[in-house]
Amino acid sequence: MLFECAHRERSERMSPTADPIAHFGAMIDRCYDYAEAAKAAGRPIVGIMCEFTPREIILAANAVPVCLCGGSAATIPAAEQVLPTNLCPLIKSTFGYHLTGNNPFLNWADLIVAETTCDGKKKMFELLGESKPMHVLELPHKANAPEALAYWTDEVRKLKTALETRFGLQITDADLRRAIRLMNRERGLRRRLAQLMRHDPPPLTGRQLLEFKSIISGMEPDLDQYESALRLLTARTAHTATTVDNRARVLLTGVPLVHGAERVLELIENSGAVVVAMENCTGLKPILDDVDELDPDPLAAIARKYYHLPCSVLTPNSGRLCTLRELAAAYRPHCVIELIWQACLTYDVESHHVRKLAEEELHLPYLKITTDYSPSDSARITARIEALLETARPD
Amino acid sequence: MICAGIDAGSRAIKVVLFDHARSMVIGRGLADQGVAQPRLAEEIFAATLSKAGIDRHQVRSVVATGYGRNRVAFATTTITEITCHARGVFHLAPDTRSIVEIGGQDSKVIRLENGGRVRDFAMNDRCAAGTGRFLEILAARLDADWSKLGDLSQQSRQPALISSTCVVFAETEIIGLLAEGVPAADIAAGVQNSIATRVMAMAGRPLTAPVLFTGGVALQPGMVRALATTLDCPVQVAPEPQFTGALGAALLAARIAATASTSSP
Ligand code: SF4
Ligand code: SF4
Repeated sequence: MLFECAHRERSERMSPTADPIAHFGAMIDRCYDYAEAAKAAGRPIVGIMCEFTPREIILAANAVPVCLCGGSAATIPAAEQVLPTNLCPLIKSTFGYHLTGNNPFLNWADLIVAETTCDGKKKMFELLGESKPMHVLELPHKANAPEALAYWTDEVRKLKTALETRFGLQITDADLRRAIRLMNRERGLRRRLAQLMRHDPPPLTGRQLLEFKSIISGMEPDLDQYESALRLLTARTAHTATTVDNRARVLLTGVPLVHGAERVLELIENSGAVVVAMENCTGLKPILDDVDELDPDPLAAIARKYYHLPCSVLTPNSGRLCTLRELAAAYRPHCVIELIWQACLTYDVESHHVRKLAEEELHLPYLKITTDYSPSDSARITARIEALLETARPD
Repeated sequence: MICAGIDAGSRAIKVVLFDHARSMVIGRGLADQGVAQPRLAEEIFAATLSKAGIDRHQVRSVVATGYGRNRVAFATTTITEITCHARGVFHLAPDTRSIVEIGGQDSKVIRLENGGRVRDFAMNDRCAAGTGRFLEILAARLDADWSKLGDLSQQSRQPALISSTCVVFAETEIIGLLAEGVPAADIAAGVQNSIATRVMAMAGRPLTAPVLFTGGVALQPGMVRALATTLDCPVQVAPEPQFTGALGAALLAARIAATASTSSP
């Protein structure tokens, strides 16, 4: 399940299969093989922790962008030797992997891009930077401000320069354009897969859809598998169009469900609901927009697309409410569930706006779940989910 | 038509038998919760039936609710505490717009629409600060019986201020207060205020009156005062507050039985 599994013997791993959906089951193993081969071929590995980091710049440097976000409760005790207990589990888990040395991708990383998003991550990166090469990518926090976009564009340019210097190469506009096309294709395919969930009944569960999310961006072999999965699933929706589905449809929002931390999604779907849309960073948020391929300045186009990501670290983050409105209209949920990792201040405070939007504007029942990676409150969370579903569909 | 509701809570199992034809409760049972949950539920159900003079076969449907609802093997179906409490309260006091339920290990706030439908609700997470668990810890600290705490709090002249939002820290705070010689009565009243404050913080917004107080903790003298003061509005205690969930479950069981019999040929 977690990064550790990648240590399994090659022979035990899934053999190539004709079923594109099964193909995505062994994501970590595939990423492991891919990164190992890339590394052997001389491609650098660049660790990232946020959807603000433009994958295109890293890909244009012929490097492999890997998400290092930890989703395991097992590494948290190690992290708590150094970090405060009252910190977001995602940050603690990531750092715990660093201390225990159990994340091969982190061990391989030639560079880590430290995005200044939330305070917890920002300060954790400082500690990580004591033993890892690091480049700080500063995200200005004022949304919709032209001067902030200008600053951010400059930061993205500095990232490009840093990669050029470190890896001894030149990133040309042609490289950038190639990377843009690759990432646009990836986003487009993932977006179309996610849009299949608009169907009633949807052809997948939310949990199954999440399987399509990879920790490495721009893995070309996966894109062809996405294509076949899309064909297969589109055909499936045609067959089930007349089936009556009495599961409640859920719009899930809030913090990312990084690999290994899918528990709440599973609790929701085990309670007889189906998560049709995930607004978070492991769901739709980063794949809704593409980079303009025709812009004469590809770097500026990249910066613009990433800057407009509606994350709670920005202020004001009204873009998120717009996204939620659009998703509610397109995916027709019966209720909204917001997940907050314990001690994630920005999402926790922002939940005030989300609740208001759900209840007063969308007229949908809303539930906020605050938890961490420990399963000890699963029964309690289930009770609240079931109660919400009873409210959403009383009869 | 007779239906039953079982509320398998963390502290006690409650049973209510409801006769739909006569629209009245015809039996109640209560047993302490224990390790052998499924058997305890079975036993208290059987005992309640025999006391009411009802044969098992006469019971058309059984709804289980509460923390242990999935372990009540003989239940027709399960429904969460939220929906059951709301239904029970609507039966007892249809005008109620807000329910505060404080039980042994959890607490909830439910806001109702006109007509008794659940508008929204809040429940405590892992934290036990706004629950009866706090009173148990206090009782242990004061070497007093849980049931005596309420009476003790009544003697308070100046409730102590307990500011920790965590039960574990609050316990330390209580030890400190005791060491300072603060009277036990003031500490007991302080703990009650603290529970009320935590519950209100959990609700996250002002509650609409009328407010009905249910759950085992509502029985404790002093708690209603603490809640009413914190909310700054009058608070009514539900009649037999421990049974509200089981009553709601029995009423929902009746509805389920009715739908089942009309939809089958
Ligand atoms: S939620 Fe915000 S900080 Fe986290 S990955 Fe997404 S954009 Fe980055
Ligand atoms: S969930 Fe919140 S606290 Fe955790 S890393 Fe993301 S933004 Fe930071």
